[in-house]
Amino acid sequence: MRRTAPLTKLAVVLLVSLWAMLLESAAALGAVAGLLLALFAASRVPAGSYKALGGLGLFALALAAMQYALGAEAEFSLVVGLRMATMTGLFILLLATTRVQDLTAALARQLRVPYEYAFMVTASLRFIPDLLTEIKAVQEAQACRGYAGGGSVTRRLKNYLTIVQPLVLRSVARSETMAMSMELRGFGTGRAGSYGTSIALGGRDYLALAALAAGTAGVVAARFYM
Amino acid sequence: MAAIVFDDFSYAYDGTTKALDGIRLEVAKGSFTVVAGPSGAGKTTLCLAACGAVPHYFGGSMAGAVRVAGVDTAAGSMGDIAAHVGTVLEDYESQLVTMTVAEEVAFTLENRGMKHETIARRIGEVLAQVGLAGLEDREVGALSGGQKQRLAIAAVLATRPGILVLDEPASALDPEGAEELYALLAGLNRETGMALLVVEHDLARVLAYADQMVVLAGGRVACQGRPEDVLPAMWRQPGLAAMVPPLWQIKLGLEEKLDESFAAWRNEEEAAAELGGFIAARRRGGEKSA
Repeated sequence: MRRTAPLTKLAVVLLVSLWAMLLESAAALGAVAGLLLALFAASRVPAGSYKALGGLGLFALALAAMQYALGAEAEFSLVVGLRMATMTGLFILLLATTRVQDLTAALARQLRVPYEYAFMVTASLRFIPDLLTEIKAVQEAQACRGYAGGGSVTRRLKNYLTIVQPLVLRSVARSETMAMSMELRGFGTGRAGSYGTSIALGGRDYLALAALAAGTAGVVAARFYM
Repeated sequence: MAAIVFDDFSYAYDGTTKALDGIRLEVAKGSFTVVAGPSGAGKTTLCLAACGAVPHYFGGSMAGAVRVAGVDTAAGSMGDIAAHVGTVLEDYESQLVTMTVAEEVAFTLENRGMKHETIARRIGEVLAQVGLAGLEDREVGALSGGQKQRLAIAAVLATRPGILVLDEPASALDPEGAEELYALLAGLNRETGMALLVVEHDLARVLAYADQMVVLAGGRVACQGRPEDVLPAMWRQPGLAAMVPPLWQIKLGLEEKLDESFAAWRNEEEAAAELGGFIAARRRGGEKSA
């Protein structure tokens, strides 16, 4: 996956996510999840990504178990867990194998997404781990001031606002600083950046895109016409 | 020609309340200029004006001019000014936008359309300069605070700017980290001839390196010049006296009490040497008169 163009990887994420949404059999979704695991193994991703994948697997199992406990069919429960795991796992693979600026360049140059929006999408991916750290920090800070997460659902929701408010304010301030610093580093100045070799589509990308198109056609046909 | 010139520069974010008011200041090429002042004095705005973010990013209204390398910042874009001025903001973590150390440095160079071979060479050079060699593939999130600060500096050094602007670079560092950072900056200043404009409220940290100090108060320049001129001027102003480094508080206090004049101490060693000699001379004088 590392030598695959960002555009191809985006296509993989979007179309395989579509497969996951359309497929309704646990066996078929299991096959897709297996394909995802094979891609992870072939991509030599950092150890941290496997840790994230492990956490995701546990969460998917918990989700499936909860569905089952709430009265859903076993097959349906498995489908829900596998679907969530596959779609999230695709994003983990994308982030582990693609540079953020290559993603931005692919969105802006190849998909003609306005630069501001392309940057917003990729920057948000970069800051997900930071956001999780900040949530923990805000939770701890509020706990020192008497915040308690327990109680009824209404009370929990109301209490959670004390976490969300400072988090939103901090995120807005951070995004402002980030946008300014990006401009100070020459991003979005209209100059021809040197992304060419890293985002250009090669032969293997065209092959992968063709396989994806064929796979998508097959999944759509299986879902709606069989 | 000066690296940065503030020519009677005034600026208001909202168009009415002046954040900077009639600033006249020159930052010489190769100088190590430190900006200090109480909260809300306009230190950050001064930095933002030097790199063109004021007024290009924030809008607002301005009068006078800021010239960087002889060019009016209001006339060029932020990207153009960035070719001359590297900026590290106070919240340096938000400046780091990529996943790995090497990618972070490459990002700045790619935006300038540099060739991949040049980018690879520059990455090695600047990471060695800031002491991060060998960490090219390290994830940014796994770096310590001090390493992140160094990476933010490396990322702007990559384009070889003639001026480096840093807004409170040591505010999130422990005392050892701050000391290491300023030693690094002083080395860059000395070896590359790069002009530094640094906002720092703890003047003790920069006493050994600064060759120009600027004190802002209420958006105006309260005093500016060589440290040996600025620190006594601050000492005489009640609102600024507390910002004088402890070493200089001792020196200026002793000078007042003893009616003596000591050298411009840059560190504790210089102070100890001079005071040791002074005490010995006093003892000898006392023995003779006895």
